[in-house]
Amino acid sequence: MDNASFHFVSFGLAVALVSNFSRSHTWRSMVLMIASVAFLGMLARDPIVFLPLAAFLLLGYAGRVMLERGWSKLLVWSLLAVILAYIWLKKYVFLPHDILLRSPYFTVGLSYIFFRVLHLLIEAGDQNENRHVSPGAYLLYTLNFTTLISGPIQRYEDFARDQFAERPIELGPSVIGFQLERLIRGFFKVNVLAMLLHAVHEDALAQMWQPLPLPAKLFSAFRLAVVYPFFLYANFSGYIDIVIALARLMRVRLPENFDRPFSATSFLDFWNRWHITLSTWFKTYVYNPLMLVLMRRISSEAVQPLLGVFCFFVTFFLVGVWHGRTSELLVFGVLLGTGVSVNKLWQVGMTRVLGRKSYKALTKNFIYTALSRGLTFTWFALTNPLFWGDWEQLRSLAVALGRVRWLAVWLAVWLCSSVVLALWEGARAALLSIRTSEGPVLTSRYARVVYASALGLAAVVITALLNQPAPGIVYKVF
Amino acid sequence: MTHSDANDQVAAADRKTSRRDWVLLPLISLLTISLLAIGTELIARSFFTSKGTLAACEILNDPLGQHGVPDSACKAKLPESSMIEYKFNRCGHRSGLECGRKSDGSYRIVTTGASAVMGFGVRQEDDFSELLTTKLSRLTGRRIEVYNSAFAVHYGGTPRVIAQRFNDLLGPKPDMILWSFGPNDVEFSSILTVQDNIPIEKAHTSLMTTILRLRESVGGFTPQAMGRAAHIISEHTFSTLMLQHYLYESQSIYVEHFLMADDEEQGFLKSEPSAEWRSHLQEFDGYAAQIEGRAKAAGIPLVAVFVPSRAQAAMISMGKWPAGYDPYKMGEQVRRIITSHGGTYIDILPGYRTLPNPEREYLPVDGHPNADGHAMIAALLAKGLTDGTVPALKAAWAQQAAFEQGK
Repeated sequence: MDNASFHFVSFGLAVALVSNFSRSHTWRSMVLMIASVAFLGMLARDPIVFLPLAAFLLLGYAGRVMLERGWSKLLVWSLLAVILAYIWLKKYVFLPHDILLRSPYFTVGLSYIFFRVLHLLIEAGDQNENRHVSPGAYLLYTLNFTTLISGPIQRYEDFARDQFAERPIELGPSVIGFQLERLIRGFFKVNVLAMLLHAVHEDALAQMWQPLPLPAKLFSAFRLAVVYPFFLYANFSGYIDIVIALARLMRVRLPENFDRPFSATSFLDFWNRWHITLSTWFKTYVYNPLMLVLMRRISSEAVQPLLGVFCFFVTFFLVGVWHGRTSELLVFGVLLGTGVSVNKLWQVGMTRVLGRKSYKALTKNFIYTALSRGLTFTWFALTNPLFWGDWEQLRSLAVALGRVRWLAVWLAVWLCSSVVLALWEGARAALLSIRTSEGPVLTSRYARVVYASALGLAAVVITALLNQPAPGIVYKVF
Repeated sequence: MTHSDANDQVAAADRKTSRRDWVLLPLISLLTISLLAIGTELIARSFFTSKGTLAACEILNDPLGQHGVPDSACKAKLPESSMIEYKFNRCGHRSGLECGRKSDGSYRIVTTGASAVMGFGVRQEDDFSELLTTKLSRLTGRRIEVYNSAFAVHYGGTPRVIAQRFNDLLGPKPDMILWSFGPNDVEFSSILTVQDNIPIEKAHTSLMTTILRLRESVGGFTPQAMGRAAHIISEHTFSTLMLQHYLYESQSIYVEHFLMADDEEQGFLKSEPSAEWRSHLQEFDGYAAQIEGRAKAAGIPLVAVFVPSRAQAAMISMGKWPAGYDPYKMGEQVRRIITSHGGTYIDILPGYRTLPNPEREYLPVDGHPNADGHAMIAALLAKGLTDGTVPALKAAWAQQAAFEQGK
């Protein structure tokens, strides 16, 4: 059930159906609460394993209540308490082993709950925010089964606006049709596309240690480098498609988490398109406050553009570190931070050297755009081995091919991704330019029905044929 | 956008969903699914069909076990292979050599086993017996003849059949008997005739037959009926076979899928075999004792080799497998059985660790080795037979070294 399986989709559809028996927000909230508790019960049977999570939620709620009552001086302490409790429950590797809980406990979705709790605390600390969050609303918001496993990270106001609305948002045939199509698309992405890409990745990985001729080994290394970002995209965005569609069928709009990330022409742009709710959260609660503090303290105009570089590094380093508790993910954070800060530094430097107008013109140049897009993809792909591998595995992979050959592989990835992604963008634009008066033919409801039917058939046949679970949702372990 | 704006837009979109769309959209969906399903099936039937038969070349109901019809020839195509000609000599064996006499001064090895040894799905010149002739002659500097006596179409060539038809092995005047077997031969050790043989090959039939069977068997829209329908569709369509063929080309998908099968199919890969597999091994032990006893009585050395299944070869090559599994385990067990009765055992399984993607040398769904698979087996066997395990075939040092370097 903690996967985008047929069971999960069926469960979600059944809940959506029952939720729509009445338009009353009390009924819909009751259904969502029962469904979320039932969902947790399906993930773990022993109630004892939920105790640490319950204590974590209680800690967050106690902090929220105190802040609502005007004890704003407690904001920092309550934030610290929640952050430390999170680090302790997630068993970060730098913690002494003796202080960790020995018995197994439930941590699925804890990272996403953590973001929601911090959001509630920070917003409560804000003088302008004085809305009371009842215990029921708090539990509904933090344990909502559609966003529990891997997000998206929704703001409380947005959740409350739809969930507790006296007049819930409309759910007509066109919306239902669109959400069903999105469900099928998500199911196909996770259970077929991601499964196939995962297989390509696993096969390429196995080949790296097999006695292959050099060209074949280089090709395996190339596939290993290229495939994982696409797998991750299919796996995560497919799951997000499913939960967004299920929530919409329950008359709640979840925020989008992806916006064609591989079309990004810079690493900064990439993070506006990939795991959008996570990067937005970090920009809101880390980048912006940090930038403000630094700008207040450093008034030099010459230095101010460089503050952005620093703040981006810190923000995305933390984004990387959030992904896990291992030293591999610490380096992942450094690489993410380096990517965005070098990108920002490049923008600042080029603007200074060329002037704003010329630099803007350069960014519109077709070859510059294609190469930037390719480089963005390549840098992201380069960080990915830290996502799936451990140091031992990465070291033996490095030895299996050697530094110079790996460099050649990554150069090939850059060039190929520049060409292929540019062709893709061109083809997409050409196809979308075929229009009727209602819009592009390819996004018409008729075209959507055609490809939803095709994807649905393929998904059903392949999952039935292989009868094996698709790879788990990668982001659920974070 | 405000809440009411959104609601108004939804309402407007729904007004646009005309009455025509309520009919048109489901029809488009149905048409898409039908076109895709029929189109895929037609493509699959053009490339993955089976043609021809070995019926005129096989005697299946012999009480001593199935065997080939002397001086016969048949053509047959497996769904995943090309059209293959099967020619049988006057002893009913698929060998280019005469069974009665061997060339002067030559050392004759008679191979026996099941369908993989017979070269099911490959041309005669590509089967490993034929390839071994050249390799062994080159390595030993002797004139080696490898005579293929295996016959197996429907789970024939089992240890029981080989034990019962042992005299067939003596007809070609062997200097050595090479018995190759795989996990299926261990599992079906005691099968003698087709009547004993419970598993029947998948019967891919015409579309009309599939539809008729569906109508007879399903009869309703209950979940059980739908389950039966899915089973029948998968058994009677070529699309599923074609999809499996391409999906199984992935090492990881194939191994993962194979390990999800029931114990009967994948139990031989477990580090602790089930009671059923222990019982299969006991049966195998009994027939191995008979075969090796007969060989000893005839004064002919017997060498046995375990040829891995596709999944087993893939797991060994990958060098990793889930807990509770051990692709080497079955090899160790049959080695103990063979050597306990005085036979010689050649272990080719470690050789698969040095081969990249050995599973590609098998037909992905059918599981028999293809022509490259036979070449792979021949190379591993040639190395095992000439490394001194069989004194009569010991290779000269320089030739062995050159061979190992692939020259």
